[in-house]
Order: sequence, then C-alpha cells, then structure tokens
Amino acid sequence: MSRDSKVMTAAQAVSAFVKDGDCLTFGGFVTNRRAYALVREIIRQGRKNLYVESGGGGGDIDLLVGAGRVGVFINSYMANSGYSMVCRRYREAVEKGTLLYDDYSLDVQTIVFHGAALGLPYMPVKNMLASDLINKWGISEERRRAHPKLPDKKFVIQENPFQPGEILCLAPTPSIDVALIHVQTASPDGTCRIEGPQFQDVDIAVAARRTIVSCEELISDEEMRASPDRNTLPGLCVDAVTRLPFGAHPAQCFNHYDYDPALLWEYEEASRDQAGFDGFLTKYVLSRADHEQYLAFVGQERLEALRIKDRAVGYVAGLRRGRPQAVAAEEKRPS
Amino acid sequence: MSVFTAQQMMATALARQVVDGRTYIVGTGLPLIGAALAKNTHAPNAHLLFETGLMEGNPQEAPTSVSDLRICRGASALWPQYRYFGFMSLASRRGDIDAGFLGGAQIDPYGNLNSTSIGDYFHPETRFSGSGGANGIATYCDTVIIMKHEKRRFAEKIDYVTSPGWVDGPGGRARLGLPPDKGPRAVITELGLMRFGPDKRMYLAEFFPGVAPEAVAEATGFALDISRAVEAEPPGEEVLRVLREKLAT
Repeated sequence: MSRDSKVMTAAQAVSAFVKDGDCLTFGGFVTNRRAYALVREIIRQGRKNLYVESGGGGGDIDLLVGAGRVGVFINSYMANSGYSMVCRRYREAVEKGTLLYDDYSLDVQTIVFHGAALGLPYMPVKNMLASDLINKWGISEERRRAHPKLPDKKFVIQENPFQPGEILCLAPTPSIDVALIHVQTASPDGTCRIEGPQFQDVDIAVAARRTIVSCEELISDEEMRASPDRNTLPGLCVDAVTRLPFGAHPAQCFNHYDYDPALLWEYEEASRDQAGFDGFLTKYVLSRADHEQYLAFVGQERLEALRIKDRAVGYVAGLRRGRPQAVAAEEKRPS
Repeated sequence: MSVFTAQQMMATALARQVVDGRTYIVGTGLPLIGAALAKNTHAPNAHLLFETGLMEGNPQEAPTSVSDLRICRGASALWPQYRYFGFMSLASRRGDIDAGFLGGAQIDPYGNLNSTSIGDYFHPETRFSGSGGANGIATYCDTVIIMKHEKRRFAEKIDYVTSPGWVDGPGGRARLGLPPDKGPRAVITELGLMRFGPDKRMYLAEFFPGVAPEAVAEATGFALDISRAVEAEPPGEEVLRVLREKLAT
C-alpha cells in the first residue's frame, strides 16, 4: 500500500494551513486533550487576527487571547476548571473591551459544529430562548456584516413550519477554516484514533476546510488499517499529521497522561495581569524553538510523574492537585 | 446533636433532592459531592450525567472539571458531546431526567440565573466563563440551584439571564417557547432551602439549624416570604460519616 504521507513538523503544518484571519476551532475540553503544542506553534509563528470558535475552551485559547492574536471570539465556556475558574486573559479582554466576542450556550456551539459536519446551514434549537443569549448580541448585525467570515446574524427566531406555534432559535453553522486536534494515535495518511472522550473533535475535523492533527504515537498506515474498528477519523478529513508526544500538556490525554497541576497553577497566577502573562509566554512559548525544546524545558522527570501507568484507573491516583501554599498565601492578601 | 459545617448541611440538603434510580445532570464541586453523598447513602442507583457526554461516571477522586479523566472511571459510555445534548432534551421530555444541578452568581425571585457577567454585558465589571451547559439544562429540565446567599446575589433584577427560570411568573416559559412544566425546583444556600410557589416566586421552605428565618430574608435582595419556613432536619450520623470519611467534606 502506498499513500501520500501527510507527516510534517508542527512548524510546517501551521505555516502551510493557518493564515491570519482564519476561523479556528480546537479539540478537547477545558483541561482535557487540548491541542496545546499546536497553539504554542501558532503563537510562535505570529498568526494574528484569528476568529476562534470555542466550545469548552481553556488555557490554550487563553494563551492566544493573552498574546493578542484573537480578533473575534465566539464563547460558550472558558476555564481551566478547578485551577482558573474563568480564564484570566479572556476575562480581562472582555472587561476592558479589547475583544470582539459573542456568547452562545455550550449546547448550541456543540450542535452547530455537528450541523457544520453534516454540511447544513443552520440548526433549529430551543436553547437560548428566554435568555439574554438571545436578547444581547455581543457582535451587532452591522459588525457581523462587515466581518468576512462571521454569519450576518447571531440567530433567527422562527416558528417551526411543521408545528405551528412552536418557537425555535435557528443558529447558523460556522464556516471553519482550520480544526486543530490532538489525538492518541495517527498514521502518515492521516487516519486517527481518539481514545476516551471525543468531545467535539470529530465534528470540527469533518467540518473544517483543513485539519491539523498532532499525535502521541505515529504508527504505520497498515497497522492502523488492521483495526479500523478502533479508528475515529479517516485520513480524508486530515491535512497534516505531526507527532508531538505530550502535545496536550499541561492538559490531560486519556490513556497517556494526567494534567499538570503545578503548571496550571503557575498559569493561574501568572495570567492575573498582562506582565505576568507575558513572562509566562516568553518562558514557555517564545523562548522554546519547538515542542521538543518545550518538553526539555518542562523536564522529563516532571512529565513522567504525570504518565498514566494504570489504564484501569485512567489517571494518576493521588496526584497533588491543591493550590500551592505560596499562591494560597498570596490570594489572602488584600489587593 | 453532632457538630456539622454549613457545607455539610448544604451537601445533605442537595443529597435529599436525589431519588434512588432517577437521573441527574451534575457538574463539579458541591453538586457532585451532594450527588455522591446520595449514591453512598439512600440512592445507590441514581444515574449521574455530565454535559461532556461522559455518561454515568462514578468518580473515586474529585474531578476538577466535567471533562476530567476521573469521571471516566466506571462510566457506562463516553459519548461525543452532541449525543449528550440530544439525549438530554429527549430524556427530559420523556420524564426520564429528574433534575439538573446548577450554580450561578446572581438569581432573581423567579429563579432566572446569571453566570455570564456582572454589570453591563458589553462593559462588564466582572466577566465569568459563560453559559457552558447551564442554559440547556435550564431550558429542558427541572433544576436545583446552588448559590452563595448574599443580598447582591439575590436581586430583584439580575444583570444577565444566562439560564431561564420561571421567567416572569406563571405562563412566562410557555410564552417564550420553553417547555412550560420544567423549571427551578429548589435553591440551596448556606442558610436554607428555597422553593417556588404557585406564583412562581421564591419562598423560604427550610432554614438550616442555627439560622434564623429573618436572617435569610435579610440576606435576600428581594421580598422573601418566610411564613411557610420550617427548620431543616440536621444531617444524620451516617450521612456525616460518609461525608467525612468517603467524600472528605
């Protein structure tokens, strides 16, 4: 069997497929299987004015917001839950009015991603009726029309043509340029295997014009196709494959590693203000030429401690997750 | 009577909302502790769902998020997210979901809930994470709401309605296209348990031991009827043992 290889470095993949102004979506959920290494590469390459569709967004998107790379943000949730209850750079950007944003419910974002993957123009839902998600448009129709990629309307309220009297909210499906997902296993032709929770990854990968996949393990196409029942995505939906072990770090990755509480707490503290964030960004992203250097900087011993050794348990039992003492003391000080 | 904390009383009040064999949508923190308490005492067959599509998880260590790998252990299925949203709305319409647990920053007398921002939406004083799955749960299901009891949080008018409650009273939900027979069932705080009367306004149903009903009214930013309130039953010995030994609460 001979197929074209889609294997490249993260730098090549981002350089080839992510452009300024693109609509991006990311896989995973808050602190689980987020495509962190790919996000760090997007930042290193200076991509800007991005239009990000979130879903269960977390610290990876917060890095993009803090680095000033996000022009439009469509939100339904933004937290490193348990560490940062609200992602802090996103929070400050909204409070200071430096970010163009709108809000949906998580249900609706997930459903419109599914609609996009079905090739449909909109999805009729009952969500958001009777809430300010309907009454308040973070981005006005006028501003939406001026944007090359946003749908003109946040939604349209309409009666169900099959059930007169029933009110529905028609939510437009986004036109996604690039989906970025991190998976456990992939092969050179782009076939992917996601283990554990899938969240919205399959839908965004199918819907997007381009999909970049980073993986823990790269195996041969033949080995992948020996067990198609275990595979999640055909390579037909994938444009680039890059092997980035611990590519979701500091988030979790089912069957491979747990989240890194020390780093998530460090980010929670550093991202309180822009100067602290800038320091974090320099330390972990801008000063590291690539993912290999990032891992070397974080340290093998620390990463090994996060590795899931007992897959029947599925996480690192007894992992120290509490807020470090120094940070807790800082918290008590009046600001 | 044994000594217990406000948090233990809240977890107990939450657990009492759980009926054995029924299905609940939970998040992290106190709602999960309350549900876990119920499963470890009177409701071992209750089913817990998470908005990430992780079905019937039975975490042995506290998950920090609704996507935490700690929820996967012992789960029945790890669904893609959209499956949860479809299942939730269908199951609720069939009467197969008893309630969802929600938290929030602000609540009004009709149980409308704000978890989006304080102040003007476009220039907020404080911005939160956003709806997450809360709006959908409030759209389709009965809810049990967990709040901190402060005057500014219990307000006649809230800054943003993220999750609809009884809207503006009887008929409010139907008028706006929501399932009319679902809505907030109870609000639990560190002071007591509120329910909603035929007028769909919140009233004090139970005050917790050591709390005066007048103090609950005082901590509420709108007129709260306390005339029907009774003192809540304190947590029993077995409940406290489970909370301390199994749930570290």
